[in-house]
Amino acid sequence: MAGSGTATDLALSGLTKVYGTNTAVAGVTLRIGAGEMVALLGPSGCGKTTTLRMIAGLVEPTEGDVLIGGFRVTRIPVHRRNIGMLFQNYALFPHMSVAENVAFGLQMRGLAKAEIRPKVEAALSLVRLGDYADRLPSALSGGQQQRVALARAIVIEPNLLLLDEPLGALDRNLRENMQVEIRQIQKRLGITAVLVTHDQEEALTMADRVVIMRGGKLEQVGTPEQIYSRPASRFVASFIGTSNFLRGNVAGYGGGMLRVSLAAGGQVLVPWPDDGRREVLISVRPEAVALAPLAEGAMPEIGVPATVQQVVYRGQTTHVHMQLADGEPFVAFLPNRVGESAGQSFAAGDKVSASWSPQSNWLVSDA
Amino acid sequence: MAARLSGGGGALTYFLAAAGLIFIVSPLVVVVALSFSEASIATYPPVGFTTAWYQRVIVDDEFRQAFLTSVTLALASTVASFVLGLPAAYALNRWEVPGARTIETILLSPFILPILITGLALLQFMALLRMRDALTNLFIGHVLITLPYLVRTVTASLKQVDRSLEEAALTLGASPWRVFWRVTAPQITPGIAAGCLFAFMVSFDDFPISFWLSNAENMPLPIYLQNSMTKVFDPSIATMSSFTIMTGILAVIGLEKLVGLRRAMSV
Repeated sequence: MAGSGTATDLALSGLTKVYGTNTAVAGVTLRIGAGEMVALLGPSGCGKTTTLRMIAGLVEPTEGDVLIGGFRVTRIPVHRRNIGMLFQNYALFPHMSVAENVAFGLQMRGLAKAEIRPKVEAALSLVRLGDYADRLPSALSGGQQQRVALARAIVIEPNLLLLDEPLGALDRNLRENMQVEIRQIQKRLGITAVLVTHDQEEALTMADRVVIMRGGKLEQVGTPEQIYSRPASRFVASFIGTSNFLRGNVAGYGGGMLRVSLAAGGQVLVPWPDDGRREVLISVRPEAVALAPLAEGAMPEIGVPATVQQVVYRGQTTHVHMQLADGEPFVAFLPNRVGESAGQSFAAGDKVSASWSPQSNWLVSDA
Repeated sequence: MAARLSGGGGALTYFLAAAGLIFIVSPLVVVVALSFSEASIATYPPVGFTTAWYQRVIVDDEFRQAFLTSVTLALASTVASFVLGLPAAYALNRWEVPGARTIETILLSPFILPILITGLALLQFMALLRMRDALTNLFIGHVLITLPYLVRTVTASLKQVDRSLEEAALTLGASPWRVFWRVTAPQITPGIAAGCLFAFMVSFDDFPISFWLSNAENMPLPIYLQNSMTKVFDPSIATMSSFTIMTGILAVIGLEKLVGLRRAMSV
């Protein structure tokens, strides 16, 4: 089956694309291991799609190089790069049957009919569409169409699988199933893959590593766990999940912890080396926060004082929205147990002390 | 499906359609009716019923020559417009051609320039270049006015083709040439067919260009009809006109059989 050959790695070196006065991608350097799936994630206009299209060869870089399996392919046209690509709108050929669509790439490689047929059948059964070979794409649902597109892309045994927002047009449940299915097939075939998405859940679910892009540059590269729990910047912390941000000044250092007194009052301990910075920005995930009632005028020993503004029951969790003394918002996600809502004891206007373990503190750059 | 037309908008739509039908179709019906008249001059209403005019016209050498000239000219102009217009429209829409907008405007300019004046200008230009072969001159003149139809319809069709289909084909290993034939061409065929039909009919029916560029030996049908009419106005004129109408109908039926009228006209 496809991809059973040797997996290839991908390297981008100083990849740059300038349109007129607008720099869409600015010197992206990235190494993607053989068989790895990497997600390029970022808001629209961050350059992720342009980067993917440069890897495919659909856009010519202004500067820099693309290396597939160590070979420089920057000047090699798309149709000789041996790449499988999925598009958001599936891009199936409407005038060809499902089987003809899948056979297309093999025909372009000059394979004989007798060779093509079993490969097409194998690819279609891999995506569980063996019975649909003679249908026209228009007779299939969106999810089925994207599976045909996947079969068409992998049947040519590509060196790379590129996915351009492949599930953006599907509804939520189907999208989650397809994320798992595409990921399983990619792993089983060991194809090196690059996924472009603006959906953080999709990136975290599917990718071995996530690349956060911003303004044409790489903001952070890491495993989903690294990106989520150790965001490099305020941008990453707020783009992936929800985060609280606290300003503070370093008041002391001891036992491997910075003691930070917060602008909103109170203080916290941050496990961080004393690297000389005095003003810091702390990121705290809302699910790490615990709340306790606070007497009027009191100050928590560790933590931050806050005023409850709104309590929202959300099933698994209760979201408690608060305001800090310096006017900044602060939110806690409290887990609910059946028969007992965590937020019951709090109401709007209550003074509370919000606290969390030192390990939940993470310093981010304020950008 | 589209909602049913009703209310004031619906009434207006039906009224305009009916008016169009009356003013476009009924004069043609009158012409066809006259062609069967037994009277010796073309007057309405027709008198009696005879196919004598058809029998006379069909063996008329001058008419046959003019008809043949027009069909040949129309076919040649259509083929030339296809051969020139398709690559031009493709290049302007798919490649980065410097000044593409200007080139497109120039190619489409016969749509807005007065054709009669274009014909006169062509005649003077060709006289200056000592181009004396009337058939060649007619051919050039007709291509000038039929080419825009191909450029226009092919451009419109290309804009409707999803670019990601072409990109998908490229990633699957198809060279740009094969992408065109396997993916792009099948989708713009209706547009090409519509453009060819327009080109054929515009050339077949052309008067203002042929008026300047034809001569006694190379006289397209519309010019021949006009000449005949100034000599004698008997029902044979109506008969010859009926042949013209029939050619148009045959062309439309041919298009319907080939690609379907609705698909072709939707571009």
